[in-house]
Amino acid sequence: MKRSRIALTAAALIMPTLASGAPAATKSAPPPPPYAGVYQPRGVDEIGIWRDEDEEERQLSNSPLVIRDEALNSYVKGVLCTAVGPDRCKAARIYILRTPVFNATMAPNGTMRVFTGLLLRMRSEAELAAVLGHEFGHFESRHGLNRFKAARSGTDLLSWAAVLTSMSGSYQSQSSFNSLQLSVYGGLFHYQRDNEREADLLGLGYLNASTLRPQAASQVWQNVMGEAEASASARGLKKPRFDAIAFTASHPPDAERAAYLSALASPEGASRDDGAARYAKAISSWLPLFLDDQIKLNDFGASEYIITMLSSGGWTAPLWCARGDLYRARGNQRDLVAAAEFYNNAVALDPKLPEAQRGLGLALLKTGRVSEGKAALSRYLALKPDAPDAAMIGMLTAKDS
Amino acid sequence: MARLSTCTLIAAIMLCAFAAMPSLAGNALREKGKPATISGSPLTVTPSRDWNRLAISPGKKTELWTLDGENLNDVTFFAGIEPGKPLVREVSKKRKPLPKFTSNTLLVEVPELLEGTYRASKDIATFTVSGAKPDRFLEHDGIRFTYDYVDEDALPRRGEGRAALIKGLLYMATYDAPRLHYYDRTLEDFHALTDAAKLN
Repeated sequence: MKRSRIALTAAALIMPTLASGAPAATKSAPPPPPYAGVYQPRGVDEIGIWRDEDEEERQLSNSPLVIRDEALNSYVKGVLCTAVGPDRCKAARIYILRTPVFNATMAPNGTMRVFTGLLLRMRSEAELAAVLGHEFGHFESRHGLNRFKAARSGTDLLSWAAVLTSMSGSYQSQSSFNSLQLSVYGGLFHYQRDNEREADLLGLGYLNASTLRPQAASQVWQNVMGEAEASASARGLKKPRFDAIAFTASHPPDAERAAYLSALASPEGASRDDGAARYAKAISSWLPLFLDDQIKLNDFGASEYIITMLSSGGWTAPLWCARGDLYRARGNQRDLVAAAEFYNNAVALDPKLPEAQRGLGLALLKTGRVSEGKAALSRYLALKPDAPDAAMIGMLTAKDS
Repeated sequence: MARLSTCTLIAAIMLCAFAAMPSLAGNALREKGKPATISGSPLTVTPSRDWNRLAISPGKKTELWTLDGENLNDVTFFAGIEPGKPLVREVSKKRKPLPKFTSNTLLVEVPELLEGTYRASKDIATFTVSGAKPDRFLEHDGIRFTYDYVDEDALPRRGEGRAALIKGLLYMATYDAPRLHYYDRTLEDFHALTDAAKLN
């Protein structure tokens, strides 16, 4: 508890400087605290939380959502080790979950969950290391335990205050209780956001001390903002605010995070390698699947943003095919025409990609180019005779219309 | 006088509320051999055994039937989805839109539509269509398809769907159950139920 208070005071001292503007260019995030080796939980609260988490992890390890590809798992573990150091990273057990959202978590007992939506959005080893380092920062500073204790103290206080208020029964005391309730809940949310800031700084500290480019940490948040803006704009919503947050927000505003992570990244690190090529190679075999999972979420703007981002390294057949799927799913006539063009690009790059032939055929059929469409569908069947929908597609190619 | 008019107003509001939400009428037994209309549409089913129709339903033109509870075996009827409409109710039309059935949706794309709906509404990534073949449904040319998915409760489920496009509307029945034990146990009941469905 003492440790967290010190950390909080430190965070409180640092934060106003961050909010008021970029600190001097020579500053960089502090080096990570010394690591104590294999840690055992202490005290009834921590032991209890660890037991709960151990039970959760037992279930998680058998979950059908976990991706068990050895190469991918050891690569992600390797990135964590590069970020936090080979000694620290032994404390983490990584589970890659097939869930299409941008997130990663780390539980107090060392269970790290990495979602495939995160792997899809990262562009380099350094970006992944920044996120994993942030999560490891939560673990190392025992934020889970501290938040549990803070929530318990806050709700204890409110329970006693509720008893006293009901005994008094005056309007004045009820009004004071309402104010107290707001302050306590506001304080808890604020505490959580401060934990996030502390974890950001710890994560950046690891990255500054590693062999990777620390400037990538800020890039992660710039990409997140770009995607959120693209998603909102395609849905006809107002541009999201990145500088303001709700009373109940769990994280600091994205723009603030991008700003302080950029300001505190070690300037000497700017020339370091960010491992983009290594990252692209490591996830290349999984990328089409992760992308497909994203496209089928029906978030046109975000998916288009991700495809464009991935295409900066050159268009590939699976990327064109994914873009075709995205447009075909939205299904306006103009989208179908565009989709047919994208599938054609995919076919030009790889005529043996069955999904591109199928998409091309369906898009052409729906835009009135029946004979070309049937030809593409026949090519699909020739490439993948045992496709699950072979009988249905066969009917389309055979039917006279 | 004022009091009376308030009472009348409340009564009127309650009446309207009940009229607008017939699905709130509660769970109901669908007895063997008695024809049951699905959600006020021309789709009628005469079950060959007793089924339960649940009070909750995922959408306007849908009904949820089950034997042991919707998490163990769940038959959903989609009775005439119109072009431009999603299969199930959208949580937020603006922020979380679902894929829509359109007038140019092909029969072969119906499994993709269901897949997109499941993925977007449940935020899941594990869904595969494992088979699709032409089959008659409601005495029309239709499709019969199977799929596997893992819901947020991490329990692998399997499903089968039968659909047909009739006069520009989508009629479909889907059956979802945990892959272990329950799927196989109730599959025949689902087949009997959907074979007994017809359009009036």
